[in-house]
Amino acid sequence: MSERTTSPGAEVLDPPPSLSGSAERPFSFPDRAAKHWLLSAIFWLTVVDLFGLVLATEFVAPEAFGGISWLSFSRIRPAHVSGVILAWLTMMYFGALFYMLPRLVGTRGLWSERLGVWCAWAWNVMYLLGIIGLLTGHSQGREYGEFIWPIDIALLVIWLACVVNILATVSLRTIRPIYVSVWFFIASPIWLAVDYAIGNVIWRPGNIWGAPSGALGGSLSDAMLNWWYAHNLFGLWLTPMLIAITYYMVPRITNTPLYSYTLSLISFWGMAFLYTGVGDHHILQSPTPSWLKTIAEVSSWALLIPVFAFTINILGTMKGNWDKFFTNLPLRFTLTAFFFYFLVNIQGAFEAIQPFNKLQHFTNFVVAHAHLALLGAFTILGMGVIDYIVAQVYKRPLWSRTLTEWQYWLVTVGFTGFFSVLTLAGFQQGFSWAEGIPEVNVLPQLHAYYIARGIFGAMIVLSGIVQIGNVVMTIFTDTNERRRRETLKVAEAVAPPLPG
Amino acid sequence: MADDDTRIEEETGTPRGWSPHPHERMLITPLVAGLGGLLAFFTVVFIVVWLPIHTFDPPASYDWTPLSDSAVKGRNLFAENGCYVCHSGYSRPQDVREALYFLYPKVSQPGDFYGSDQSPNLLGTERTGPDLSQESGWHPDDWQRAHFYDPRFVDPLSLMPAMKSLFSDTQIEHVITYVETRSGKSGLLRYAGQLYSKHVVTTNQGFTPAPTGFEGAHSKILEGNDKILSPPKDQLEEAPNLAQIDRGYWLSGDPLPVTEQNLLRGKEVFLQRCVGCHGIAGDGKGPGASFMSPAPADFTDADDACCGGDTGPGDFYYRILRGWPGTAMENFGDRLSVNDIWRVVLFVKTIPNHTLRKNVVPEPKDYIAWQPSKELVAWLKSRQQLTDNASFAKKQVTDPFLKEAMSVFPGLAPGDKFLLNDGKTPLSLKDAAAGIKAIYEDLLNRAWNEARARGDKLPDESQKLIPPTVPGQQ
Repeated sequence: MSERTTSPGAEVLDPPPSLSGSAERPFSFPDRAAKHWLLSAIFWLTVVDLFGLVLATEFVAPEAFGGISWLSFSRIRPAHVSGVILAWLTMMYFGALFYMLPRLVGTRGLWSERLGVWCAWAWNVMYLLGIIGLLTGHSQGREYGEFIWPIDIALLVIWLACVVNILATVSLRTIRPIYVSVWFFIASPIWLAVDYAIGNVIWRPGNIWGAPSGALGGSLSDAMLNWWYAHNLFGLWLTPMLIAITYYMVPRITNTPLYSYTLSLISFWGMAFLYTGVGDHHILQSPTPSWLKTIAEVSSWALLIPVFAFTINILGTMKGNWDKFFTNLPLRFTLTAFFFYFLVNIQGAFEAIQPFNKLQHFTNFVVAHAHLALLGAFTILGMGVIDYIVAQVYKRPLWSRTLTEWQYWLVTVGFTGFFSVLTLAGFQQGFSWAEGIPEVNVLPQLHAYYIARGIFGAMIVLSGIVQIGNVVMTIFTDTNERRRRETLKVAEAVAPPLPG
Repeated sequence: MADDDTRIEEETGTPRGWSPHPHERMLITPLVAGLGGLLAFFTVVFIVVWLPIHTFDPPASYDWTPLSDSAVKGRNLFAENGCYVCHSGYSRPQDVREALYFLYPKVSQPGDFYGSDQSPNLLGTERTGPDLSQESGWHPDDWQRAHFYDPRFVDPLSLMPAMKSLFSDTQIEHVITYVETRSGKSGLLRYAGQLYSKHVVTTNQGFTPAPTGFEGAHSKILEGNDKILSPPKDQLEEAPNLAQIDRGYWLSGDPLPVTEQNLLRGKEVFLQRCVGCHGIAGDGKGPGASFMSPAPADFTDADDACCGGDTGPGDFYYRILRGWPGTAMENFGDRLSVNDIWRVVLFVKTIPNHTLRKNVVPEPKDYIAWQPSKELVAWLKSRQQLTDNASFAKKQVTDPFLKEAMSVFPGLAPGDKFLLNDGKTPLSLKDAAAGIKAIYEDLLNRAWNEARARGDKLPDESQKLIPPTVPGQQ
């Protein structure tokens, strides 16, 4: 198993030849596309966080927004869910991908930085229109596939442009062997494009401004397709990208080669084969075929194989590097996300078996689980990635480490509280329902949980805002100059200039 | 090491410290990752998507019905506005218990989702509110209108967003049609029972139809028009009302003692559940009242509360337990404990003495004991004969429409036949069964015809003729 190379960098290929011909000139990556995607992502994070806060508020006080139709719970929730996945996380992932890919395959940038920038803008506009649609009641009414048909098509066109950009960049590579992360960078966007097209039934536009549209004719067939698709948003896009980015961040920051190549193979192919079939575990209690439920249950457990492979690989890479966990903030974000990612998979496996599913199905336990993945794992990773990449592309330290610490602790404590509260609320609901207490009678019992959820949620929103502040100040302040002054001050304190 | 995280990486083509992969092990090329990944993907897609969709096609269940055009419009509005995020669309095996009969009378079957008007799926992932797959017919339309306008108008505990700003008057009628006809034949039967009862109750009390859409929000609370009524002379005026209460409750007293604790608990429950319609003063002028016909009961009249033939403790208990079909009074049988219902009944009888005022603890001295009137006792005597009073036949009632009639008019004996207070409309179990059947068949035929006109996928015509079943009929 252990193929750890003892001499990192021994076989590193030559740096790519300079385009201008003057090999001596210091080269720097353009990273224009990465900047656009990442900075949009930070903005969307706060928007979708605020959507979440509106929802949390409405759980405590349903009249809080006094009948403004576009702030109605039922419209905001799809906007919140799709916003987290397609605006915040997807933009962050593409940003990270466009930053990492040239560095991994040895090109001087993307195949087309300009296309990357255009895609970022197009994506922002597409998403904004999609959200406006949802908030004004233009929705297909399929969970995770709410966007109306024209938005679906726009999304796919932009997505395919990104795929082309990625593949063209890979084909220009100067480092022939492609690193583990790149496998996912190639496969995952393609998977998602196909998943999105099939899952949204784009060949049946129906009523393109609302429902019924983008759905199969039969209700149960549509449900099976819907949940297969919805779970693959996580299984084939969000999760593989988390793995790819972690495979970049951890070796890069710790300056350590990846622990095992074989384990990465297992995590890649395991993901490809086992994640695609778990979707039906969302509807284990529904009148759908039992054999499909069995496949979903078995795949959900078998999924632990690639998860453990990934876990061992990262822990192996971290061996001897744990001091950096405490000193390097992007790494701390990454590993915190990695821990929550491990947890969400274990939890998910148990949720996917009938006896436990019976208890927690339809309760807030599921909501807690979803946030463990999307907030605990993907979002915390994304925050670390942005802190890391912003410092790299602007070539200056972040404006304030204290703010970054605040950002970390706000999101970590906020999320942990949020998760715990919702899990407890889920048990409260599950056990109450099992006793035959109807839903509406359980609501007053949940009030305290809902208040706590709102408070923890506010911490998470605050964390995103802290990051925006920190990033903006980094962009507009010459932090290098400040650091030089500070270093000088320390140096002078230690060794004052000689008199005279 | 405070600045370790902001260290700027050296920009070379290959990341420093990158482990180069040994070439002989480089099994993954971009082609393998891309095409191999897709191959793996499609293999699984074939098994978990293509196969089930092409092999799983359950026939329509006996209970299945198509949706009318209006209901389809309502269903689309339901989907477009995200109602499914809090209301699931199927009842699971573990939902169906006796205690929750009113919510989940049956487990959803694969055949209940037959047909092409059921797209997109609305199965849902989370329940904040109840499942709605079996909702049809439990509440009359006027209750639904008030509830959609602002759910707190009829259920102060609800967390549901108010729909007043989401839907127009026409749209909300479509949504209501969808909710009232989505539960298959058993739901249509219940809804037909509601509609027939509504006809009986409004005719009997001289009420005009309730305002439609959200018009109720701006209209006055309806009042019954006694002038157009001419109750038959030899008949107890409350007789039609009593027909909707099981006879066993007509003369029953409250089993709980009139104590301060019981009254206080009754007040608490009243404030939690009842004030939306019956008002914070108990005068029947709550915010939901203007949507309703008949208007909600006024409990402030000391005289009425002690003398009416259908205002005994047992009558109140039965109406809270099972609801009053035809009025907006819904059943609380699965939400309140038996003792809590009796406590509310105790408390209601103290309202004329201003016990609903803030910081007032209702005391036993405020309680107004109910005495059956002479007329009531005489009426009961005249009706309590063995002949035609109860069915002692061995053969059980199998006609679903008669069963539904017995369910909405539990106080009617098989031989009972009298006129409503308008002096001309007859009321008997047979009339009710025929009326309910006519409404049911009208609803069903309209839905079938409209589905056929839409070109929907329909089962064989014989499915339509299978009579509705009453799941879990007690």
